Amino acid sequence: MGRRAMGQWSLVAVIALGLMARPALGADEIVLGSAISQTGKYAREGKFYVDAYTLTVDAINKAGGVKVGGKPYKLALKLYDDQSDPNLSVRLFTRLVTSDKVNFLLGPYSSGITIPASAVSEKYEVPMVQGGGASGKIFDRGYKYIFGTLPKAEFYFQAAIEAAAKFTPRVQTAALLYSNEAFDRSVADGARQWLKEQKIDKVYDEEYQPSTQDFTSVLAVLKSKSPDLVLVAGHEENALNFIRQAQAADMAPKMMVFTVGPPTADFRKTLGKAAEYVFGITPWLPDMDVGGEIFKSARDFAKQFQERFGYEADYHVASGAADVLVYKAAIEKAQSLDAKKVREALAAVDVETLYGRVKFEPTGQIAMGQVLVQVQEGKLVPVYAFGKMLAKPAYPAPKWSMRK
Amino acid sequence: MLALQVLINGILLGGLYGLMALGMSLIWGVMNIVNIAHGALIMLGAYVTFWLFTLWGWDPFVSLPATIALLFVYGYCLQRFLLNLIVRAQLFLTLLITFGVEVVMVNLVRIFWSSDLRQVTPTYAGANFAVGAITIPYVRLWVFVTTAILSVLFLLVLEKTRLGRAIRATSEELRAARLTGIPVAHIYAVTFGLGAALAGAAGGLWGMLFPITPIMGGALTLKSFVVAVLGGLGTMMGAIVGGLVLGLAESFTATYLGPTYPNAISFGLLVLILILRPTGIVGRRA
Repeated sequence: MGRRAMGQWSLVAVIALGLMARPALGADEIVLGSAISQTGKYAREGKFYVDAYTLTVDAINKAGGVKVGGKPYKLALKLYDDQSDPNLSVRLFTRLVTSDKVNFLLGPYSSGITIPASAVSEKYEVPMVQGGGASGKIFDRGYKYIFGTLPKAEFYFQAAIEAAAKFTPRVQTAALLYSNEAFDRSVADGARQWLKEQKIDKVYDEEYQPSTQDFTSVLAVLKSKSPDLVLVAGHEENALNFIRQAQAADMAPKMMVFTVGPPTADFRKTLGKAAEYVFGITPWLPDMDVGGEIFKSARDFAKQFQERFGYEADYHVASGAADVLVYKAAIEKAQSLDAKKVREALAAVDVETLYGRVKFEPTGQIAMGQVLVQVQEGKLVPVYAFGKMLAKPAYPAPKWSMRK
Repeated sequence: MLALQVLINGILLGGLYGLMALGMSLIWGVMNIVNIAHGALIMLGAYVTFWLFTLWGWDPFVSLPATIALLFVYGYCLQRFLLNLIVRAQLFLTLLITFGVEVVMVNLVRIFWSSDLRQVTPTYAGANFAVGAITIPYVRLWVFVTTAILSVLFLLVLEKTRLGRAIRATSEELRAARLTGIPVAHIYAVTFGLGAALAGAAGGLWGMLFPITPIMGGALTLKSFVVAVLGGLGTMMGAIVGGLVLGLAESFTATYLGPTYPNAISFGLLVLILILRPTGIVGRRA
């Protein structure tokens, strides 16, 4: 090899190294961009998505990347921190599209941030697949470029209310408490409808501010109305406060259901015994019988995730992982990196993943139900899903003072 | 019966609000520093209690003196080596620097201890007793009693001791205090230390009732501010009265108007007080 050829080769090597090191656009890379909360009030949930994206992107690259026209492309991530601020989120997504020129977008966390962020993807006609926003308000604006892998907010309490009507003794009265954020309002809208359908009387229906710490007044009112079923839609911190203060106030309905919390291992650990009898809902559990390409089963995914990040994957994580996998499926089907073609492929996608079957409704939201789960002796037990009783519920919950 | 339960809930929580605001009111009154990092000090106190409980199994009530001592030292150093440099500067500068301290503290805590929700759960966490139809949680009652003891102790120190007189003298007439040989830089640092210690105590107690996160402080700074102004700036009794008023206002609003309104009512109350009685509920008329 002559000196000149050596020089050329080393030049190529240097350029190749440079491309690999650069997180932004490389020749054989598909860059997925997102602004997601790494600080601020959603820092905790935001981390679930950052870790899920990272693990999935690495797994896809290890398995040979995404193939377009017979050529393998590596996936790369370009992530910003939106500081849990919707305004900053919009600026960062605009930057991702206009100056970083990423190929496709992954979503932020929370409906409140996804609503404005999805307007950016729509404006620039770049698809956004997101697993962190479930409010119907994200999907009912006729947008074409937004896809979501969390089930509809309006359906969150469906399984719980259906099951409540089948338990013995049957639930007669219910109380509904929800935070005044977009997502939880949608959950409450749905809950009212399901309660009506099952002919369960609503004796309390109030919204609260998500920053609320002290629920003692609400609990005093609930205690005086003594509903059989209490439905709470809010964030994990709200659920944690509500349950602990319910114990201290000695308010024990036959059944308590929360939109978030029980499926998260950390949540059960923090509450300890107080978490017993509490119901939750989740679209995904690590021992569900689902799986697909890259991650053969939910269990396999959960194991890899636990090994790498040291905590248990919950449905946020699985939903985030599914978002990346859906892109792989759609891009390979479209055989193109063109945003419009990939958008068409996403609309028609139908793929089995570790998260379950991903297929979008015309609005862009996934067609998927929820599983009603309950904490029984520290374990999360699936109780009811898709019209079927899966396990015996610990019902009715005894008074706090009667518990071990 | 519901009203009585709500009244008791309001008083029990209001006491803690009062303790939270006491430290802020002290620092504000003596040095004219609006301490934006006050909530961060409360957060730090909560974490100290949490770690002592989690690592060594110290009961949160027993570990309170340790929390108070640690926060005092921290507060003393903060004032002595940082805030004393700008204590005579405009209010705006002290606002900025305490804001900076808050940002640094919150983010360091987040980096070292993560954003996970923490909870101090002694075995008696959920225990309660009933008087007729009224349920009273033990922890809340003890938190209230501790709050009352700490507040009385603090007021005694301020009113009856040499140190207290020095602090009050510095606050009332700086030049005269200097002339009589009061070491002002030291007194300032002690004052901030006391404020931080009170915040730390409030944090330790707060952590027994509510989850602990790195960002919990922001809302608590705001709450302390409202309570301090409501009661009367710089007056120590004002902070306590203000706390009780806020606790009661929140409880009754959440019960009879709905849980969305407590903030609106609290801030409405603040505006009203500022218009009708700018010196606060128990503040001296200028």
